[in-house]
Amino acid sequence: MTRYIIRRILQAIPLLFIISLILFLLMRSTGDPLAMMGGRRATRPEDRERLARQLGLDKPLYVQYLYWLIGNDWTKIDMDGDGVAETPGDRRGVVRGEFGTSMVSRGRPVLEMIWERLPNTLILMIPAEVIIILFSLAIGVYSALRQYSFVDHLVTALSFVGYSMPIFFIALVSMYIFAVNFKRWGLPYLPTVGMFDPQVGKTTGQVLLHMVLPILSMSVISIAGYSRYVRSQMLEVIGEDYIRTARAKGLPRRMVITGHALKNAALPLVTIVGLDIPLLLGGAVVTESIFAWPGMGRLFIDHVSRADTPVVMGILMLISVAVVVSQLVTDIVYAWLDPRIRYT
Amino acid sequence: MRKHSLYPLLALVAIVAVLFTACGPAATEAPAEPPAEEAEEAPAEEPAEEPTEAPAPTEAPAPTEAPPAERKVATFAWTQEPDSLNPYYTNMWFSSITQQLWSCWAWEYDDQNAPFPKLVTEIPSMENGGVSEDGLVVTMHLRDDIIWSDGTPITSADFVFTHDMVMAESNVVSTQYPHDALESIEAPDDLTVVMTFAEPFAPWQATFWKGILPKHVLEPVFEAEGSIEAAEWNRAPAVGCGPFVFAEWESGSFMRFVKNENYWLGEPNLDEIFFQFVPDDASQTAALVAGDADLGTFPPLSDVPTLQDAGLEIVTQNSGYSEGWYFNFREDTAAPGALDVRVRQAVAMALDREAITQDLLLGLTEPAVTFWDSLPAYVSPDIEPWTYDPEAAGQLLDEAGWTDTDGDGIREDADSNDLVLVHGTTIREIRQDAQAVAQQQLREVGIDLQILSFDSDLYFASYADGSPAALGENDIMEWSDAPYFPDPDTDYWLCSQIPDDENPWGYNYFGCDETLDELFQRQLVTVDAQERTEIFHEISKYMHDQVYWLGMWLDPDYWAVGPRLTGVKFSGVTPFYNIIEWDLQ
Amino acid sequence: METAIESPIAAVPEELEAPPLTPRELVWRRFRRHKMAVAGVFMLILLLLYSVAGAFVFPESYANLTETGARLQPPSAAHPFGTDTVGRDILARTIYGGQISLLIGLFAVVVEVIVGVLIGAIAGYYGGWIDSVLMRFTEAMFNVPQIFLLLVMARFFAGKIPTVQFLGRTFSGSVIVIILIIGMTSWMYLARIVRANFLSLKEREFVLAAHTTGTTNLAIIFQHILPNSMAPIIVAATLGVASAILSEAYISFLGLGVQPPTATWGNMLDGAYNYIESAPWLWAFPGMLIVLTVLSINFVGDGLRDALDPRTLAQ
Repeated sequence: MTRYIIRRILQAIPLLFIISLILFLLMRSTGDPLAMMGGRRATRPEDRERLARQLGLDKPLYVQYLYWLIGNDWTKIDMDGDGVAETPGDRRGVVRGEFGTSMVSRGRPVLEMIWERLPNTLILMIPAEVIIILFSLAIGVYSALRQYSFVDHLVTALSFVGYSMPIFFIALVSMYIFAVNFKRWGLPYLPTVGMFDPQVGKTTGQVLLHMVLPILSMSVISIAGYSRYVRSQMLEVIGEDYIRTARAKGLPRRMVITGHALKNAALPLVTIVGLDIPLLLGGAVVTESIFAWPGMGRLFIDHVSRADTPVVMGILMLISVAVVVSQLVTDIVYAWLDPRIRYT
Repeated sequence: MRKHSLYPLLALVAIVAVLFTACGPAATEAPAEPPAEEAEEAPAEEPAEEPTEAPAPTEAPAPTEAPPAERKVATFAWTQEPDSLNPYYTNMWFSSITQQLWSCWAWEYDDQNAPFPKLVTEIPSMENGGVSEDGLVVTMHLRDDIIWSDGTPITSADFVFTHDMVMAESNVVSTQYPHDALESIEAPDDLTVVMTFAEPFAPWQATFWKGILPKHVLEPVFEAEGSIEAAEWNRAPAVGCGPFVFAEWESGSFMRFVKNENYWLGEPNLDEIFFQFVPDDASQTAALVAGDADLGTFPPLSDVPTLQDAGLEIVTQNSGYSEGWYFNFREDTAAPGALDVRVRQAVAMALDREAITQDLLLGLTEPAVTFWDSLPAYVSPDIEPWTYDPEAAGQLLDEAGWTDTDGDGIREDADSNDLVLVHGTTIREIRQDAQAVAQQQLREVGIDLQILSFDSDLYFASYADGSPAALGENDIMEWSDAPYFPDPDTDYWLCSQIPDDENPWGYNYFGCDETLDELFQRQLVTVDAQERTEIFHEISKYMHDQVYWLGMWLDPDYWAVGPRLTGVKFSGVTPFYNIIEWDLQ
Repeated sequence: METAIESPIAAVPEELEAPPLTPRELVWRRFRRHKMAVAGVFMLILLLLYSVAGAFVFPESYANLTETGARLQPPSAAHPFGTDTVGRDILARTIYGGQISLLIGLFAVVVEVIVGVLIGAIAGYYGGWIDSVLMRFTEAMFNVPQIFLLLVMARFFAGKIPTVQFLGRTFSGSVIVIILIIGMTSWMYLARIVRANFLSLKEREFVLAAHTTGTTNLAIIFQHILPNSMAPIIVAATLGVASAILSEAYISFLGLGVQPPTATWGNMLDGAYNYIESAPWLWAFPGMLIVLTVLSINFVGDGLRDALDPRTLAQ
């Protein structure tokens, strides 16, 4: 098992390299961060030339990538434009843990900017994930046990619908019902903007209140999809021989379901859920825009439009690492839970 | 075989999640608070007392009166979050206009956009001897009562330091203009600054000293790190020199400024200004209508009636910008129609700009006559604005040799080439609407206006990046722009700025007219105000008659002012110049 | 619920008389039994009619006709779906928007299938280091969540493609851009499936036979193996259309998709949440249309998947 883990980690490293290369090339070809630096008017040629030199943008692409990857403190750069490189660089590079500084918010370390916003995104993602797991299991099992009943058909239909909606439509509908209409009917209503009401302050209560609608929007699609999956898995498992044996043995129905069926049916859900991380991150981008949630997704959108390569690459690499790690963890957890699986 | 239950795992995940949400807010407060606190601790080592620690958001100031008065907090809704508060690292309008709150300029501008002295005793000019005869030396005398918010006096050393920081190569500032025009700067004593220019630089008054950096705070940073790029002060300028002092900035959510107890001009009426970052215009409108915000910027025109019904006042203030049609008269790329001045004049007479402004802009602004309409002193009094006269336009076109021989409604020249003009602009809704109307109106006089629209990133890119405007593919280009307001200087029509392969960054997309080029170059070095004004009279009349630039409408700053605010006035250059007088009912 | 053999005695004469069902007919029969899938097909036909025939009712200029005096009007006789923020008729815009959204969905899938099949086929057939490299590349693209790729690529292509005339309508370059980037960010899943299929099929006897008769590799790939792995490709392509329509909605919603005044269902939703209270018809209609379309496609795809299930087909 340990060998398997090590092998996977070793495989992940070149993968991350390739990802970073592709993304870096894409990013650097999209747009010109210098164009925006003039403010409301065009950047002056003298400033453009100076800024390109000082930010390292006048170097060929592969050199820029190299500096991004392993830093430039082992070489000198020409800061004052006399053609002679005399100042030692100060970047240590990604492999040594430094993601550079933002070009838009000049001088701010990328990691600091991401760290500022990351917890806000996690606050949305982790509870959403938990809710997805719990509800998918509950709904899927319930549906499976009452197959072909009215409830089952209703749930299936709703799942299909939920699965077909774009996430922002769900957000809109939930906003409309719980914020706008509740307010109209005089019921206590949910807030739709930001993480907390600035007049009240950033209390736990405020944050929880503001979390409800975004998390709802993010979870509905996944719950719709996974509950059907759990249902089909449950149905398959219930048809298996060992369930029949357990029943024949006289075990109470509850024990049969929870003790045997559920455990086996839920197993594949682990893999799916583990691979859900990219989906949640993507959903977070849209949700954060709608609800003005100050998270990483909004940071990404703001900085992509201004072609701020260091910040965008930092976020993308973080996400890629998270995805790769989550895939690995999922495989391991799956192997640990299912004794039938043995990885060489 | 081991039995593995899923439940402990699920329960663990659930517990962790709940813990995280409970700790979440606290965890995020930690990284957000320290920057403000640290910045305030460092300068608090000064003997003068630091008036503001980063307080809990709703904490009242230490009350000495028996009944503590309710704090007056004005909320401003900002649709963009500043990238940096250091005036030399940002070009965002939403950042630079906060300068009047917490920073100070040598001189600021009032609601007539006329300068008044702030840090100096009087604005240097040739009459009072502040500017030398040859225009090369400017001497500023500072007031003796100006202090930073931590009590340290503001001296000429701060001015010299600011200049040094802008010019230092290790500080990657957005632009070194206009400091790169200075040959030297000296501080013979604490209250005098002497600026020496290499060549006469006429725009000096309108472009210098838009924000002073505190030497006693930033010099140690510069010496320790070699650059002020990563200074705390850029994000948390706790030491300032305005009526308010920076208190807190929660990234993505809000920014707060509280009253500066040490302000040398007295205390402001408001206790706190709270900037709320809203995601877009409609949230801004919603906040204004609900009364959650007292001030908004650039409300969408479609929301103006709603705002006015809710009791808000829409105030406009000229800030130099006007929307206009820039004609391409580059001989290698412009259509023959655009190269003919009579065709251009016909276009000017064929458009009913009054109607366009009334219909599309709800009458909130008016048609522009010249590029310098917001600086009326520089506009020639001899100009006769073009009026809507399609008949005269038609006659002019006939004279120019464009007649409709084949009866398709579009005029042709002697060689049967259609009179086609290609009009390009960005995809902003109002521009598209204006394009459609213009196309219709020009068709009535027999001109075929082909309308294109582009993504603004592409359109305002450079020649090197393939911007259609830069490449000369459009005969008429439309966008909103200004001279270096409040200075009338602009370099758009300099022949040296025409982009080509050797000079891919040039931004003269319009053409080279020798007369105009000479005039523009001369005004730049004419320091005598009277002479310079006269040169601009010539320029404005020439450009008007040649129709190199056809004004569509003035593009002022739009402010939505809530009913609670009183004493509010705006300037086009330094919008919050009288913020000290603003009050809440 | 198998085929129509109720009782062996009564059915025997029929069985003896009727010819055996071809695989295609078998698939169709099984598909028909899926009520939801059939409903989905009907729904799709209706939606197609809506977008295509609707174009004969309203000219395209009407869809783009702005009438600022009539802005934000609720549904009425003159404007059955109401008007938007600049007075354009929403009904007409959903018709023309539907054309574009459906077009984008279809063509994006074409791009996706071409790229995915090519990469999967080559990787699966040739194996070795080609397979390794291609699969590493696929995994790399797969690991970045699609929306991030979409955002970055949207900026990469922005403004670089000019307008195009097609079927009598002018499409701005951004439509082509969207098609390309959606196609190029969703082929990974298909590539994996195709590769898995090829890996297992290339060892079969008919491939060996083809080799011995001297058929070229290309011919083997496209004429022998590929037709046998059509089933998962068809299902993936069908579901891909739904996913592409959703992706288009996402990017347009974030403002990076097709730019106005060209309408798509996605960009009609952009900014509509600002009027959630005052003008719910702005987002309700295009949103519902998206949901209906995607739902129908999902039903059809589900039905196809069951109908084409190789396990029972092989019987």
